[in-house]
Amino acid sequence: MTAPAFNAPAGWPTRRAVPGRRFGWLLVTPALAMFAANCIFPLVYAVLISFQHYQMLIPVPPRFAGLANYVAIFSDPLFWSSLKVTLWFLAGVIFLQFPAGFALALLLDRLPKRADLAATVLLIPTIIAPSVVAFQWIQLYNYQFGPINFLLGLAGIARPTWTGSPSLALPSLMVVDFWEWTPFIMLLLLAGLRALPTDIIEAARVDGSSAWQVTLRMRLPLLRPVIGIAAVLRVLMSFKLFDIIYVLTAGGPGAATENLAYFTYIQAFRYFNLGYASALAILQLILVIVLAKALLALTRQSGRQVLPA
Amino acid sequence: MKGRGFGLREALLSLALAIALAFFLAPVAWMLITAVKPPGEWLTSPPVFWPSHFYWRNFSEALIRWNGLKGLVDSFIVATLSTLLSVLVGIFAAYALARYRTGGENLSFTILSILFMPSVAVGIPMYIFWRRLGLLDSFSALIFQYTVFNVPFVSWVLKSFFEDLNPALEESALANGATRWQAFVDIALPLARPGIIAVALLSFIFSWNEFFFAVILTRARVTTLPVILPTLMEGHDIRWGSIAAMATVAAAPVVLIAFILQRYLVRGLSFGTIHERD
Repeated sequence: MTAPAFNAPAGWPTRRAVPGRRFGWLLVTPALAMFAANCIFPLVYAVLISFQHYQMLIPVPPRFAGLANYVAIFSDPLFWSSLKVTLWFLAGVIFLQFPAGFALALLLDRLPKRADLAATVLLIPTIIAPSVVAFQWIQLYNYQFGPINFLLGLAGIARPTWTGSPSLALPSLMVVDFWEWTPFIMLLLLAGLRALPTDIIEAARVDGSSAWQVTLRMRLPLLRPVIGIAAVLRVLMSFKLFDIIYVLTAGGPGAATENLAYFTYIQAFRYFNLGYASALAILQLILVIVLAKALLALTRQSGRQVLPA
Repeated sequence: MKGRGFGLREALLSLALAIALAFFLAPVAWMLITAVKPPGEWLTSPPVFWPSHFYWRNFSEALIRWNGLKGLVDSFIVATLSTLLSVLVGIFAAYALARYRTGGENLSFTILSILFMPSVAVGIPMYIFWRRLGLLDSFSALIFQYTVFNVPFVSWVLKSFFEDLNPALEESALANGATRWQAFVDIALPLARPGIIAVALLSFIFSWNEFFFAVILTRARVTTLPVILPTLMEGHDIRWGSIAAMATVAAAPVVLIAFILQRYLVRGLSFGTIHERD
C-alpha cells in the first residue's frame, strides 16, 4: 500500500488524535443545529419565562416575577395532587409493568417456537397510536353498554363507572398504561434474556440448580443493564404521560387523574399562564434528570460486560 | 429435568401464553368488531359480540364525512417527511460519532439528553415561537418538531450499528484514494442498511402516533389521525362504528409495517443497546 490518506489500522477505534476531525464535525453540524433548536433554545426560553408573570390572554406585557411562580407552585394543592398522580403512574410502571413484563419474557423464552410471532402480536398495544388505545378503552369502560360491565353484571357484581369514579379513575388509567406498555418491557427483557451468555447458565444447570434458582440468582442479576435501560426509558415516558389522560378522562373527575404533564398543559394551553406553566415544566425537567441519573447509576454499577455490545 | 412431565409443562405454558394474548388483544378485537357493526348494534345492552352483518359503510363515513381521508393524507405527509429528514440528518451525525468520535462520549450523551426534556418544557417555548412566526397549524412546524425529536434517537441507534461495522473496508478504500465522503456513502452506508431500516421504521411510527405536539401546534389546516379521533367522541350523537373504523385506519399502517419488519424492532426500541443473537 502506498502512503494512506491517514494512518489506517490504528486509526479509528482509539482515542488518540483522530484524522478527519473536520469531516466529523461537518457531519454532526445539522444534528447539532437541531439540538440547539429543540433543546437549548426552548430550555433557555422556558427558564426566562418561568421568572416572569406571562399571561397570554391579557394585554399586559410580561413582567419580571422573580421566584414568584416557583413559590406559588409549592403552595398550590393542585401541584401536589398532580405530583401524587405522576408518582402513582410511576409506581404502576415499576411494581406492575416490570414484574409482568419479566414474567411474559420468561414465558416466551420457554416457548422458543412461538416466541417471535407472539412477541410481535403482543407488541400491538405498544405500537398503535395512544389515542387509538384510549378509544378502545373508552368503549370497554362504557358504564351502560361496555363489555366489561356486561361481564360483571353476569357475575352479579355491581357495575362501577370506571373512569367516571373519583376512586377508580386513576386505577382505570393505570390499567390502560399497563396494557399499552407492558409488552414493550417484555420485548426488551426478552431480547436481553436471549443475549445472555449461555455457557455460564448451562454450567449452573449442570451443577444441579433448578430452573427457578438459575433465573433468580443468575439471569436476573445478569439482566440488570437491560432492566436499567428499560427502566430509564419507561420512567421518562411515564413522566410525560399525556395522551391517554387527555382522551379518556381529561384529568377528571375533578383532578383525580391530572398528572404533572397534564396539569402543566392545562395551565399553559387552557389558562395561558405561561410563566407558571414554564416554572412547572422546569421543575419536571429537574425531577426527571435526577431520577434518570439515579437509574443510570444503578445500571452502570453492574458493569457492561454482560451485554456483547 | 428435561423430558419428565414435559408435555404438561408445555401445555401450562401455552395456556399462560393464550391468556396473555387474550388480554392484550381483546381491546383491539373489540375495536375491529365495532368497526363493522351496523348502527343499531353499537350501543346495546347486552352488547353485541358479533355483528349481524358486516357494515362497511362505517369506513366510508369515517373517511369522507369525518375527514379521515384528509387525516390519513396529513399523517402520511408528516410522518414520511419527518422520517426522511431525521434519518438523513441522523445518519451523518451517527457516522461521525461512531467513526470519528466527534466530540467524544460527551457529545453523544448531549445529543441523547433531549430525551430527558419533558414535552411540556419544549412545548411552551415552541408554541410561542411558532405562533410568532405565524406557523401554528402548518406542516412545517409539525414536521420540524418531529424531526428534531427523531434525530437524537436516529443518531444514537445508528451509532451503535456503525460501531459494529469493521472499519477495515473503509480504511482500505481511503488508502486507495477514496475521499472520506466516498468511504462513508459507498462503503459504510450500504452495510448499515438494517440499522437504517430500524430507525426509519421507528421514526415513522413515532411521528404517525404522536399526540401532544399535534394537539398544541395544529388546529384545522393540519389534522393528523390521532387528533381527529378524540374530537369525534364529543357531543351527543356519537358514531361509534365510524370512530372505530377511523381508529382501525389509524392503527393499520403501523401494525402492518411492524409485522413486515419485526426483526428490526428490538434493536430500535432499545435504542440500539440490545444486540440480539442471530
